[in-house]
Amino acid sequence: MQFLSFSNGGNASWGVVSGDGVIDLGARGPHATLKDAIAAGDFMELAAAGGAPDMALADVTYLPTITEPTHMFCAGRNYKDHVEEMGHAMPDNLSLFLKANSTLVPHGGRMIRPKVSECLDFEGELCAVIGKPTRHVSEADALDHVAGYTIMVDGSVRDIQKHSVTAGKNFHATGPLGPVMTSADEIPDPAALQIRTTLNGDVVQDSSVSQLIFDIPYIISYVSRITTLEPGDIVATGSPAGAGAGRTPPLWMKGGDHLEVAISKIGTLAVDIVDEA
Amino acid sequence: MKFISYRVGDGPATFGLVREDGVVDLRARGPHATMREAIAAGDLMALGEAAMSADPDAVLPDVTFLPVITDPDKILCAGLNYKDHVTETANTLPSELQLFMRSTNTLVGHCGEMERPKVSDHYDFEGELTAIIGKGGRHISEADALDHVAGYTIFIDGSVRDYQKHSVTAGKNFHKSGPLGPWMVSADEIPDPASMELTTRLNGEVVQHSTTDMLLFDVPYIISYISRFTPLEPGDVIATGTPSGVGARRNPPLWMKAGDRIEVEISKIGILWADVADEA
Repeated sequence: MQFLSFSNGGNASWGVVSGDGVIDLGARGPHATLKDAIAAGDFMELAAAGGAPDMALADVTYLPTITEPTHMFCAGRNYKDHVEEMGHAMPDNLSLFLKANSTLVPHGGRMIRPKVSECLDFEGELCAVIGKPTRHVSEADALDHVAGYTIMVDGSVRDIQKHSVTAGKNFHATGPLGPVMTSADEIPDPAALQIRTTLNGDVVQDSSVSQLIFDIPYIISYVSRITTLEPGDIVATGSPAGAGAGRTPPLWMKGGDHLEVAISKIGTLAVDIVDEA
Repeated sequence: MKFISYRVGDGPATFGLVREDGVVDLRARGPHATMREAIAAGDLMALGEAAMSADPDAVLPDVTFLPVITDPDKILCAGLNYKDHVTETANTLPSELQLFMRSTNTLVGHCGEMERPKVSDHYDFEGELTAIIGKGGRHISEADALDHVAGYTIFIDGSVRDYQKHSVTAGKNFHKSGPLGPWMVSADEIPDPASMELTTRLNGEVVQHSTTDMLLFDVPYIISYISRFTPLEPGDVIATGTPSGVGARRNPPLWMKAGDRIEVEISKIGILWADVADEA
């Protein structure tokens, strides 16, 4: 099943895709948000109970799939093809950073190119959405803690990223998340997914999640050694080869560009780029 | 004025004004449930003024301290930001500010327990002056930056050094590794945050001693820099980095262990302390 968060006449809600419609599960209660429903553990049952669609999917105004995650942990430098293209040695350890919620942008929304830099780069990424509180979980059990999968654009401001990864990865409205979360039962093996990023229709990243250096069970297990992952937390897995910074000349996004990231079994996350006002 | 977040016994989380004779409950005297909300509404100082003539609701020994801001939107921290600390870590002076973020669930209240993790012995202390944002904003100039500060508090940026080698974010985000408190001193009492003295003691021994004029990137610069990339929100926590003396740079290294008491004193603010306990 595919879950989404959306705005219905200004009211935030969440629901499940049914054919070419959406069943508004926020309106049916008892949970106001997808995060709350995941935390309560009954989002799959509520969706299965179904009902008639309340609106056409095409008419929906999306919100970020999880509107207020407690954490967004992101893996850096985690695709073999990306590390090879950069001429780096394979890393010995997973490298993490955090993104703040103010980075989030919905599907169909606008990603903001900042005033202070021209070096806004794209990174298409598969994300796991955590299903239950997770501390000290083994790799073998880690996928049992995933509610589903979604897509992120880990927008990166490369010159500021040279100061610190955190600064470059936390520009306001540079992190589209969506369009939907496909429930984990439909993706038993996330390593089998294909990921493709297109900028203005040109394919700029085209890879397989099997290229991950540290796979999803490892990342979840690793983070759970440090802290408790909470229901609705986003775990972004890193981006494959093809980012604009690795090209000659570099390929930066600019106002008017259209960016899409497609991942098999999830869908296509699409946004427009606008200059900061 | 000094403001705390606290609870009494099993009572609800609240916030209040600290006076010599006790604590006045400000949640009970206004529409705001948290200090962050009162800051965001611009009401905190007026609530504090009014509470100067009220009767205290509790005495400090009966109070359980909570992290000064219990639910910040963001905790942003400067790394390698004291001249003396950069020298001891054998790094060249950085040309730009380096930042990392911490998760809210790293926070611990004053007199609370820092959790030494199961997965590492390399548990280090870092005493830090910390600004709390009062008025949010974007693209704030250095000249205006201190107008956006509600007050100052103390932070222990507990660091797990072997994980920090994997990534700064990993080493700085261990559960319950970040005591924040004891209170926020309002900014009117600290017109110049570069003039403060910081001392860290581990089991009573001085391990860090410096002054905040040693900051490479000062509080106005840090606020201005962050506001270039994201909107600062009321209640955001900005830790300014730590001076020399950390355990990792000693020979042999000095790691905190269960039973230790760590305390950080900053002039004009007070003393923040926490006990170290092993993760259960």
